[in-house]
Formats: sequence, C-alpha cells, structure tokens
Amino acid sequence: MSANNNASPLVSAENLHKRYEDVLALRGISFEMKKGEVFGLLGPNGAGKTTTIEILVGLRQPDEGSVRVCGLDPARESNELKERIGAALQATVLPDKMTVEEALRLFASFYKHRVPTESLLETFGLMEKRHAHFDKLSGGQKQRLALALALVNDPELVLLDEPTVGLDAMLRRDIYALIERFKSEGRTVLLTTHYIEEAERLCDHVAIIDHGRVVAIGTPRELVDRSGRGTRLEVRLAKPVPAEKLKSLDAVIDSRESDGIYVLHAQPATQAIVGLIHFLEAENNALLDLHIAQPSLEDVFVEMTGRKLSE
Amino acid sequence: MMNVIRLSIMTIRLVMRTKVALFFTFLFPCIFLFVYGGIFGHGDPNAMAYMFGQVLTLNILGAGFFGLGLQAVMQRERGSLRRYRLAPVGSLTIVASNLLANYLIQIPVVGLLLVCAMGIFHMPFKLSFIPMIFVLLTIGIFAFAGYGLTIASVSNTMQEVQVYNNLAWFALVFLSGITIPLPALPHWIQTVATFLPATYLVTMFQAVMAQSEPVSAHLPELVTLVVSGFAGLFIAWKLFRWEKEERISTANKAWAFALLIPIFLMGLWMNVYANPSASWNKSYSRMIKQMSSVVSAANGTAGTTLEDFEGAAASQDISKTWQVPMEDVRPLAEITIIAPGANGSQHALRVSGRVPMPSQNQLPVQASDNFVIPTTVKTFSGIEFWIRSDDSREYRFTLLDENTKQGTAPEITLRPSSKWASIRIPAPTQAQGNASPPQPSHLKLFIAPLGQAGDFSVDIDEIKTY
Repeated sequence: MSANNNASPLVSAENLHKRYEDVLALRGISFEMKKGEVFGLLGPNGAGKTTTIEILVGLRQPDEGSVRVCGLDPARESNELKERIGAALQATVLPDKMTVEEALRLFASFYKHRVPTESLLETFGLMEKRHAHFDKLSGGQKQRLALALALVNDPELVLLDEPTVGLDAMLRRDIYALIERFKSEGRTVLLTTHYIEEAERLCDHVAIIDHGRVVAIGTPRELVDRSGRGTRLEVRLAKPVPAEKLKSLDAVIDSRESDGIYVLHAQPATQAIVGLIHFLEAENNALLDLHIAQPSLEDVFVEMTGRKLSE
Repeated sequence: MMNVIRLSIMTIRLVMRTKVALFFTFLFPCIFLFVYGGIFGHGDPNAMAYMFGQVLTLNILGAGFFGLGLQAVMQRERGSLRRYRLAPVGSLTIVASNLLANYLIQIPVVGLLLVCAMGIFHMPFKLSFIPMIFVLLTIGIFAFAGYGLTIASVSNTMQEVQVYNNLAWFALVFLSGITIPLPALPHWIQTVATFLPATYLVTMFQAVMAQSEPVSAHLPELVTLVVSGFAGLFIAWKLFRWEKEERISTANKAWAFALLIPIFLMGLWMNVYANPSASWNKSYSRMIKQMSSVVSAANGTAGTTLEDFEGAAASQDISKTWQVPMEDVRPLAEITIIAPGANGSQHALRVSGRVPMPSQNQLPVQASDNFVIPTTVKTFSGIEFWIRSDDSREYRFTLLDENTKQGTAPEITLRPSSKWASIRIPAPTQAQGNASPPQPSHLKLFIAPLGQAGDFSVDIDEIKTY
C-alpha cells in the first residue's frame, strides 16, 4: 500500500452522542482524519474512546450525530465497510483450541480481498507459533495475532482500540514498531490510547478526549505549543519545601509536587532556574536533580481538564 | 453459505480437540446406551430396539440444550463472538454454522450408538429403518437446536441459561418417556407428555424401531417439530446478541413463548382427536412381553399366555408364507408372518390379497383361520389384537365357535389407520336357553376386506383373549 495523503477526510465524526442507561458516554464528539495519517484518541479510561471506535466500525449506533468512514455509513453499509477496514478491539478473544494459522486463514476467508497468511505470520513474528493454540499464546503474541487479524483483508483503514494495554514496556515497543510499519506502508490508522508516550510517538494528529468530549485536537507539537505552559522542569531537593513557595519564584507559571519530585512549568526557563538556585541558597537547601524538558501531552491534558491522565 | 460451511468445519475441529467435549459428545451417549440396554433392558435385543429411541432422544436433547445452547452463551460471555462481528459475518451465519456443526457431529454419534446396539445387544434392525431414522434425526436435531438456541438467546448469563436448560431438560427427560416409559406413568402425566416435543420424538423412534411403523403415520408430530424448530431458530436469530453487555429486555424474552404455540396446539389435538396412549401402550407392552418371555424362558417357566395361530403360524420360520384354507368360491387371501417375536412366541401377521372387480355371484374376499384357546383361560369375552393398515378401506371381522359352529357372531367393521390400534372382537354368544354355556375352545376368525377392487394388506399382532 502506497502513501496517499488525500485532503478529503477518510473518517468524519460529527457531534456524536451516546448514552448507556444513566451514563452519558459521548457528549458531542467531532473530528476528522485524513487518509494516510495516524490519528490518536487520547484520554483516560471511561472518556469515551472505545464507544467512539465502536461507532466507527459499526458495532454501535450513536444516539445523535453522524459518522462517515471510507465514505460509507457504518450503520447502514456495515458489510461494505468491513471489507475496507480492519480493527482490533480491546482484548481479542478466540476459541482456546484454534491455532494461529487457522485463525488467520479462517478470518481471511470471510473477505473478498485477502493478504497471504504466510506473509502475515512473517510480518507479525508469528511463524514459530503458527500451530500454537490460542490459549497457549502469551499476552504479546495474542496482541500481535489481533493486529495480524486486523490486516487479513489489506484494509484502507486500521482501527486499534488500546493496542498496548496490559503489555509490559518491551512488548509495547514491539507493537509500536508494528504500528510504525503500518504508517510507513501508508496505511491510515486510528488508535485509542491512554499512554502519552504512544500518542506522542505514533500519532500525526491527536484528539484529547475527556468525559465524552474532545477537549483539544491537533498535532502533538501544536497541542503543546498551544498550551502556553512553558518549559517543564523536574526538580529533586535535599529538603522538602511547599510547592506554593516554588510557584512564587520569577518566571514560574505552575508548580506541583508528586512523589518528592517538583514539576515546574516556566517561561523563560533560564530565569526560573536562576531564581530557583537563589531560593535554595537562601533556604539552605540543595538541588539534587534537575531535568529540563518541553511540555508533554500529559501537561496539555492537565491544563485542559485539571486532572492527570492516570487519575 | 461458504462462511457457514467454513465456520461449521472450524467448530467441529475445535470440538475434536477438546477432551471434555469429546467425552460428552461420544462417550457419554454410549454410557447411556449401556445403562438403558444393559440394565433397564436386561440385554434383550427387542428391549434395546424400544429403548434405542430413548437414548437417541436423550442425546439430541443434550446436544441441543447443553451443547449448542450453552456453547452459544459461553461464546458470548468469553467475548469470542466479538471478533467475528468485526468481519463481514452476520448473526445468521453464526447461528446456521452452529446448527450445521451440531448436526454433522451428531451423525457419527448415532452411527456409533447403532453399531454398539447391534453389535453388543444384537438389536434387530432393518435397512428400511435407515431413511426413517435419518428423517427423525434430522428433524429432531433441528428442532431441539432451535429450542436450545432460543433459551440461549433469552438468557443473559451462563447461570441463567443453566437454570433454564435444567428446567427444560428435567421436564422433558422425566415426563416425555425418555427415562420412564409413558405407559408406566400416571394418566395425568401422559396428558402433560402430549404437550412436550420430546414425547413426539421418542415415541416416533419407538414406533419405527420397535413396531416397524412408517414415519408418515406421525405426520402431525413431525410437522409440529419442524414448525416449532423453525420458530426457535428464527427467534434465536432475531434475538442474537454478540456482546455480553447487551442485555435482553423482558418484552423480548416473551418471544421465546412463540415456539410453544405449535407444541401447545399439537398437545390439544392429540388429547381431543388422537389416542396416543394406545400406540404408546402397544409398543411398551410388546417390549415388556418380549422381555418377560426371555426372562421366563431362562427361568424354565411357561413362556406366554398368548395363543398362536394353529399349524404353520406356530412356526419360527420367518420366510414361510402359507395360504389359509378358504371357502371354495372365494378368492384366496394370504397370511404371512412378518415379524416373529423372541422364541417365536409372538407374531405380527400380514393378511393381504386382492379384491376382484365386482361381478354377479362374486363373493367377497375373505381370510380365516382357527386358533385354540389355552386351557388356562377359563372365561373370556372375546379376542383382542393390534391392527394397522396403509389401505383406506374398511375390514369386517367375525368370530365363530369352530367346534359347535353355534352362536351369533357379532360383526365388527372398522377402517384401520397406519398407526397401530387395539381392537376387540366379541366371542359368539350361545343360543338362548342354554343357561351356562361352555366357553369355546376353538375359535375361527374371519377377516373380509370391503370396498372397491384392488390390493389390500392389513397387519395384525398380539392376538389374545380379553
């Protein structure tokens, strides 16, 4: 599949609302994504990411709002759409005694357009496990199989719901590499995540979602620049001090303490660092560690919602 | 359609790889066969023929409720249906593939049971049974799959489906003749049994295997199973849920009762217009007598209270056909032994022939034969026997005292159906003035087909006094 950055949106969601009994899961989600990009829906658990992706693949219907995927209505043109998209939802479960190869061959057989099974086994590092039963696979292998199943029909659009949830850091990096490969092949990918690193590393555009609403949307760089929270300083001190005292220093915009580490946002950073050193000398305190970084999407999320992503 | 076949093949493969599924699919029915044939049936071949239908029905019920139905909820609860939902596979494909896989798995199971029943218990079996068993199996599996999937579709959780399945299972197993033969149950339970679909299936199997009745004689029961099975599958398809989070509303649960409508109507029809207990009693009493003759023979006691036809009728030669001495001018009818019982003690007789074109001075066709009343029978009112015929003609039956040639013989005229039914022919009454007439020791039975010209054939079985 070759890269093709077409200007017309491949996915457009407008004013999506969805209620589950007494829970309002979506309160007007709207976004567009273009062909060839990796688009991330970033938000904490319960933000409405999974409901959004389930509406996009046609598993649920919105109570209000409209959605088009690959130019089709997922609710009314479900089978045509399924031929053109691939999806891996959270925790793919297959029958225990089904082998990896059988699963790939079976699911490929449902589609008109198919990718050779051997090629998928090779790409997803499952060749050695081709005869293994599903219940004998590790978490990472199951997730790789889920991704391979999403590609059996060589889809235009791949939708991945929390593809790395529950995996350790090393397995997560394996999955990142596979998604980067999708990207390099020019595939359009929509993924949901609550990992900042994942969104920053993989996504061309990110929509930050909270409580069923899009609170910010743009490229990761744009979001950070737009936040105006300045440079991020992570400081460790010899003796604890109230975070409010650090916030009163010159050029410091914000200050909070978490597990003995003080996170300051400052603009300009150099002025804040000089002020900090003078303050520590006056307090007879010492600077044990200092990290200087650009603000992250986590900072943007905190600014937008007043909460951390993990809360 | 190809997706249905692919999914069915995959389901069968998965069953073959699961030890628990293999045990319950293949070994468990064999255990039941040995319990029924070996313990309940004392190893008697004819008892096995009667009970084979019970084992098959039990197996079909198990596959429908605990194989297919439970499996459907388990797939939903585990979340494995979710992955199929992302592919271009519809709910009808899932339901149909489960149904087909269940059917294809049951065929070799029935073959295995048949081999065990014939090889170990020497169950009598005719090749002509095969198409009829195939029809009953197909309709039975289809119908009970519909019921099992309906229960699964209205159950939200595994716990719920197990409660519903066990309620249905125990009611059907204990009240429909699968475990306890219906004639051994109280009358009110027999009435309840007419409203249970398992009753139709088990009694049809028994009619075919133990009485050689054609399945066409049970068309209403077959139609009821097909209609209710279709209703069940339709409901299961319409209420199909992919996700365990999707709960079914109480209003939708009420749809499940729709499949009970044809069964309820059938039950009403059976109670008002049919007499199912006659057929049930016949096959049951036949099986019990055959068993008791084997048991008593083994104990060295008298075998049976039934009296055989004289002469050739007492022969154990299955192939022997003889012509009954007839009145000179009357066309002959034939009497053939069509099913000798255990130890040759009982016989099903076929009286057949042809009614000629009517002409002047042409007497009607009539068959007759003599038989002896055993000395152990002191008093009796007449003889009774079971009768069936595929003809739609009437027959006239008359009894005479063969020794005295005296007495008035009441004529009984009836039109036998293709189902076995019991008939009583009163013994000839003596001339008035004879205060204490002796009971006749020899009777002569006349059978005359009535109506238009053409072939006739009527089967008679288990002739005895009453």
